[in-house]
Formats: sequence, structure tokens, C-alpha cells
Amino acid sequence: MNEIIIGIDLGTTNSEVAIVGQGKVRVIADGDKKILPSFVGIDDHGNILVGETAKNQYLVYPERTVKSIKRLMGQNIQIDLAGQSYAPQEISAIILKRLKAIAEKDLGQPVGKAVITVPAYFSDVQRQATREAGEIAGLEVVRMINEPTAAALAYGASQAEAKRMLVYDLGGGTFDVSVVNIQAGVVEVLSSHGDNHLGGDDFDQQIIEHLLRHLQNTYHVDARAHSKAMARITRAAENAKILLSDQPYAQIEEEYLLEHDGSAIHLSLELSRLEYEAMIEDYINATLDAVHIALKGAKLTAADIDEVILVGGSTRTPCIRERLFSEFGFEPHGEVDPDLCVAMGAAIQAAMIGGQQVDTVLVDVTPYTYGTSAIGTLNGEFYPFMFVPVIHKNSVLPSRKTDAFMTSHDGQEFVDVSIYQGEDPDALNNTLIGEFRVEGLRDVSAGNVITLTLDLDLNGILHVSAQEKATGLEKSIVIKNALSRFESAALDTARQRITSLFGHLESNPDELGEPEPFEAPAAAPEIEAARNAMARAESLFEQVSDSDKEDMVDLIGTITACIKANDIEGLKEPVDQLNDIIYYLES
Amino acid sequence: MNTPYEILEVATDATDAEIKQAYLRKVKDNPPDRDQERFQRIHGAYTSIKDEKSRLSYALFTIPAADFDELLDQALHTTQAPQVGPEHFKQLLRAGLGETMPVNAMPHAQKS
Repeated sequence: MNEIIIGIDLGTTNSEVAIVGQGKVRVIADGDKKILPSFVGIDDHGNILVGETAKNQYLVYPERTVKSIKRLMGQNIQIDLAGQSYAPQEISAIILKRLKAIAEKDLGQPVGKAVITVPAYFSDVQRQATREAGEIAGLEVVRMINEPTAAALAYGASQAEAKRMLVYDLGGGTFDVSVVNIQAGVVEVLSSHGDNHLGGDDFDQQIIEHLLRHLQNTYHVDARAHSKAMARITRAAENAKILLSDQPYAQIEEEYLLEHDGSAIHLSLELSRLEYEAMIEDYINATLDAVHIALKGAKLTAADIDEVILVGGSTRTPCIRERLFSEFGFEPHGEVDPDLCVAMGAAIQAAMIGGQQVDTVLVDVTPYTYGTSAIGTLNGEFYPFMFVPVIHKNSVLPSRKTDAFMTSHDGQEFVDVSIYQGEDPDALNNTLIGEFRVEGLRDVSAGNVITLTLDLDLNGILHVSAQEKATGLEKSIVIKNALSRFESAALDTARQRITSLFGHLESNPDELGEPEPFEAPAAAPEIEAARNAMARAESLFEQVSDSDKEDMVDLIGTITACIKANDIEGLKEPVDQLNDIIYYLES
Repeated sequence: MNTPYEILEVATDATDAEIKQAYLRKVKDNPPDRDQERFQRIHGAYTSIKDEKSRLSYALFTIPAADFDELLDQALHTTQAPQVGPEHFKQLLRAGLGETMPVNAMPHAQKS
């Protein structure tokens, strides 16, 4: 029996888990939902919420809810969630833990290993952070593969004839483009390019700013200070964006958004697709520039491409399809669900690693150039930080390159080696990803040869070593800046911390047998109505008298207790009372 | 050490398409996940002979396969001037010096 390895698409807005079973790829549903929104929250009782429930809570308690954590992966910051601070890895781990539990519930057995996808353009630090998130969640990340590559695998696994494809992957927070050759059962990535901070969230942001400007111009009010109003504006912007994928106009209506100078402000505005497309035009242009860079990297032109594959929810934007059509002269494909194909590709790769018979082999490349800095020339002038590329962009993974350098002074005892990621001839304009010192060198004149070896593994993680050639004196590191907080002891602590968070809700998520239901089972309509009333009431808090507010808080307390006890009967009275107050306040 | 032609099991006069086919067949049997070094050898062999330009460069500048006297003879007897750009000349020079490792820059070092 083969070992179970799950495939996970850990997305900015949505996440999915998939598996290959009986030779077929299947996205595992939680109940009837295959998509888990990448939201994490803490409810009134300190319980952890993941997915749909957390997404719903975001509207009412933005301060207790986290979204789009993927955009912060690899940054050394802390996120505040209900008064506690968490590293981005820990928040991601909570999502991974839920996905793991969904898979375990479906499969009826424990799962300890996963293939996780990352944007092709994710940097070394972002990849390390993703791996750590896996470890905190109790998953050994056996491989990280690039998202567009995973999508190409999902599409290419069934292809009989040779094809060149361009994968255009625009998600919630990241953009990748890859040129892929599929031939004789080998999915071969020829080039990759992207932007790890460009996605649907930016489109939302444009609409949000448009709405804020509207509020400013019409009511002279700045809504930024009101976190609940902002949460509603954010949701309204996202909904408008989605509507505009199918319709030429979207009507945005948010009543009682906030109070200003004693009067309630209602947001009401029509947004046309044309206006929206003008807002996001610069972003779309940037993606098309990236398409051309990727084509150039593969030494191909648009005419050499047989198919264009769309991945990621943001590719539903009609003008993207139009622009790609005019670029390539044919309709892009989206047959495999753009939200699911990445998870499916991850599952295919997982099956391959797990030893299952899979007829597709993957060969991927790095989208980055890695190198070091040395004394040299820049624009014909002496310059101490000349960038010396060692592993070039679009090199096949794994890649191992050695270069030789010499000491510059007589009797030099050490060299400081800096490793950069980027393309600029001036190393200081590239991203410094690691530094180390080789010391105890022989006391010889300048020209002592030091060899530097860069080893980029299949996960896209860089291992670096430097050696004094004559003596074999060696120093090696794995680039792991992101790990500063997360040496293995810290990882263990984080793991326990996250597990204990789940402990509030689930008896023991790691023990199988009787997996607990993960969230309240589909809420009864009465509970749903009660929650709506509470959300409505809380949105009014800012504009009501203290005594009204007190009444409302009391009622909300009663309702929450009823929901917790699942007392549907008891709900009716307080909900009716609350609705009466809301009706009175709003009329 | 095996030549790229031996690693990919192709004739020395194989076409680009034949070499690509042979490469993909080898990759299929030796995925990067199974044996990374073996895969790197296969990929290295492929990149060194995948097209006319790389095959020429392989024939000219790979040590010790290139016979410089013969190349020089050829160069002197062809009517067309040999196409050796500065980049190739540097490589040729290096190959002639028996230096396999290009020594091209000095690390930035702080004065101790």
C-alpha cells in the first residue's frame, strides 16, 4: 500500500486539498464545498474559525479575523488576531491544519505528508515560510511545486500530442506566467516569470479606493477609520468585481454604512465595467509585460504557443481574456476549473512522489537569478558590489553551479559572502537573501582561490557553500532568513500553540477515529437569521444611544448563548426584540 | 567519462528533434524526483548538444576532446575566416591553459 500524500493549493483567497485515488484526481470537499476560503478568525469564545465561518465573521469582527495572509508570508512581522500576535506561518498553519483534517475525515486515516504549491515567483524566503507553516500544521512538506506548473500538470497529464502551453495564473495576491512544453509524458517548464504582489486583491483595492473617494466627495467623510465600514466596503468591492465579470454594470448598495455628524450614511453607487477596466488597466499591462518576458525566456514568440491556460479566480475578468485573445489569436482555455486545477496538479505530483504509477514527469525551472557580489566594474567604473550571477533565471531544477573567486588582499583572513536574488548588474539593487563569512583562511598573498557553490533544490530552496580551494576549509548554509524566529525549537512551540488553539473546538484533531465536525454543521435558518440580526445591530453601535446599545448588547448575549446551546426555540424572542430595535433605529 | 551522445544514447549526427526525443525518454525514465544527480547529468548532456550552436561549442571547446592543432589546421585551410568571437576566444584560451574553472572575479572583502 502506498503512502498517502495530499496535494494542497494554499491560496491567497482560497485553498483546496486534492488526492489521487484509483488513478483519478479528486478535490476533497468539506461537506459540499471544495473551496476553503483562506480566512482565519477567533470567535466570541476564543474558538478558532477557518474558512467560510471566518470569512463571514470578517464583516462583523475584522479585528478578530485575518485574510490574505499569503501576501505576508516570508515577512518577519506579527499579525494581531484577537489580542494575540501570530507569525504569518502560524496563520497559514491554521489553514493547512484544517485542510489536513478535511482530508483525514474523507480518507478515514491520518495524513502526515503533503505537496504544497507556491507561486512560481515566490522567493526563497517565502518558500521557507511555507515549509515552516506545513511543519507547524504537522505536515511534512515533501515537495513544493510552482502553481502554474501544477496547473500545467493537471492539464497535461492527459495530453497525447506534443504541445506548447502558456499558463497565465492570476490569483488573489500573486501573478505567475510559465511557458511549458508537454511532450512524450514530460511536462517541461521552459521559463517562468511573475510578480508576487499582484492579484485580485489589488483589483478590489482599486474599487475600494474609488468608493472611499466617492464617500469623501459626496459626504466629506473618511471611512478608513471605521473598521466595520471598511470591512463592508471591502466585501462590496469584491462582490462588484465578481458581478462585473458577467455584467456591464454593478450596483453597490451599503445602507447605514456609518454615521457622520449625526446622520447615517448610505453608500449607493453604480460602477460600470468600463470604469472598472480603466482602474485595473495598469495591472493588466504589467501581466502582459510578464507574458512577453516569459516568452523571451523560452526563446519563443506568441505564434509558437499552441494553448493558453487560465488559472486563478482573477482570470474570470473578461478584459484579461480579450487581451490574451488579441495577443495570441485564439481563445484561452479554462476547462479545468481555474480554482481547482492547481490543487489537482499538486495531487498528481504527490502521487508520483508517493510511488504511484503516474505517466507524467515534471521538469521545472527557477524564475530567479542567484549570485553573489564581488569587486569588479559597473558601467566601466570600479565598483565593489558587482553582481556575479551563478545560477541563471530559467535554469532547470535542481541546479548546482560552482564559481571561483579570489581574495583581494595579502594575508586576508576571511571573506564575507553575500548571496543575492535578482537580475541587476549592481548587486545592491538585488534582494540580499543571505550572508556568511568564511574565516581562518591561509596567510597567503592575494589571489587565494575560494570556490562558491550554489545548489538550488527541487523545492526552489537555495543551499550555499564556500570553500578555500587549497585547504578544503568549508562553510555552508541553507538560506533561511525567514527562520530567524523559527529554529526547530521555536517550530515545536508554534506547533503546540496552534494545536492548542484547535483544542478549543476539536477534541483532538490529530487523533483519528472519530473526527469531530469541524465547524457548526450547516446552521439552521433561525441561527442564520439571528447572526444577521446581530451583525446588523453591531453595525449600528456607532450611531445609537448608550441605553439602546446596552439593550442590544444584552440581547446579543442571550442570542449567542442560545446558538451555543443550539436552543432554536429560545432564539425567537430575543431575535424578534433585537429586530424591533433595529427597525426602530433605522426608520 | 561518458560523452553527452553516450548519455542520451544518440548518434553523433542525430538531429535536434532526435536529441530532444532521446532526452525526454531519458527524463521519463529518470525523473528529477528519483535521482537528482542522474537527472542533472542527463540535462547537462542535453543542453550541451541540443542544437547546432551548442554542438559546435561542445566539439570546439570541450577538453580534452578538441584537438587544437587540427582545429587550427582547419581554420587555416578554410576560405572563410573562423568565427571566433571574444567570448569563445576567452574560453579557448582557458581551455588551452587547462583551467577548467573560470576565475572571473574577486569577492568583496573587508579589510581586516
